[in-house]
Amino acid sequence: MKYTPKEITEEVNVTKVHPLVNLASLLGTTIVVSAAIYLGLGFVAGQLATRMDPETEIKIGQSLFPTGISHREHSQQLEYVEGLLGSLQQEMGATRIPLTVHLWENEQLNAAIFPGGNIVVTTGLLEAVETENELAFVLAHELGHFAARDTLKALGRSLVFVFVSTAIDSQGGASGVVSTTGQLTNLHYSRTQESAADLYALEAIIRRYQHGGYSLDFFARIKAKDTKGKLSEYFSTHPITQDRIDELKTIAAARGWSMTGVASPIPETVTSSDHLP
Amino acid sequence: MYNLIIFFCLLALGYFSGNYFEQQHYKSIKRRERKTLSLPAVTFGAKKPIPEAEVAALFVGSVVISADYFKMFVYGLRNLVGGRVVVYESLLDRGRREALLRMKEQAITWGASTIVNVRLESSNIGRQAGNNKGMVAIEVIAYGTGIK
Repeated sequence: MKYTPKEITEEVNVTKVHPLVNLASLLGTTIVVSAAIYLGLGFVAGQLATRMDPETEIKIGQSLFPTGISHREHSQQLEYVEGLLGSLQQEMGATRIPLTVHLWENEQLNAAIFPGGNIVVTTGLLEAVETENELAFVLAHELGHFAARDTLKALGRSLVFVFVSTAIDSQGGASGVVSTTGQLTNLHYSRTQESAADLYALEAIIRRYQHGGYSLDFFARIKAKDTKGKLSEYFSTHPITQDRIDELKTIAAARGWSMTGVASPIPETVTSSDHLP
Repeated sequence: MYNLIIFFCLLALGYFSGNYFEQQHYKSIKRRERKTLSLPAVTFGAKKPIPEAEVAALFVGSVVISADYFKMFVYGLRNLVGGRVVVYESLLDRGRREALLRMKEQAITWGASTIVNVRLESSNIGRQAGNNKGMVAIEVIAYGTGIK
């Protein structure tokens, strides 16, 4: 047998695909598929949340509510907030399960709703609001989340999120792509929910006070403090406040809701800090 | 956000440095392959008498090549959807050719006329069973019997 030396000229063992083209097609497939999974399972989770009976909701709320936060009980402030929330709840008929208000000793300006009808209001928020209308809008906004069962839906979606993330945890960088896609689809949900809750809140305010005046001042004041740039706006869970205000004003004008009126003051006993325990 | 920036930096580093080293390696492989072309390295010889020779010796060429961050990331995505792992093909191709070259170069120095019964083996390094994180590197060993 004769040996004929032959140089390798054809690279049969390496597929001729540009690495970046390869990356782009893989990235596209992964993003599209994982977004579809999140949206699909998120939709199912939302449907399940809507069909949940009140007892289960209360049970879930009890097991999930953070126990460690320090809150004031039996104070005049708490009674006032409960009263205000109760009146809004009556106006809107959102009485699926009883709501519990927790007054959290914290400087931050925030209010949040947890599954099972637990509403947390920070003392910082109570000190920052200037009229009852402002506070009522914030409470009604949370009530809007409650009425739409947003917290339960979010809970269902986060279960999906944790499940998918755990399933692909071992895939290194690829799991990052999937979880980032999940976070972004979640942002889409929360943005829609925030706007819906805003609209719900304004409607509650109109029914309670017959006008929307002063109720949006709180947002305007937050906006004055909000100096974050465009990038953080995109990733923030809340639509930017000016957008929220403008959107609400447009809707109010379209529906013929009056946006001016007399401010309802907050009782002295609530704003002054003399009576604090 | 910062994680994302770091991630893109690593990806770019992996892509550009990985590409550069791969091109350099292929240049070197092609040059040395032309140089060692005269020495036949063949797979026959097992369970058969080898060609007549005075001396025979074992020659082993081995090389360890690591993937870069870019390749590993693309592989991770590929692992989700399935299909041909194009980015690792060049890695293994380089490994095999480099291992063969190292074996042949030793044999040429020794003065071999042929290398018979050439075998190639590969194994991965750094990733034990059940541990899918960390370094991706492959070892390729080429060995054969040199005769003269």
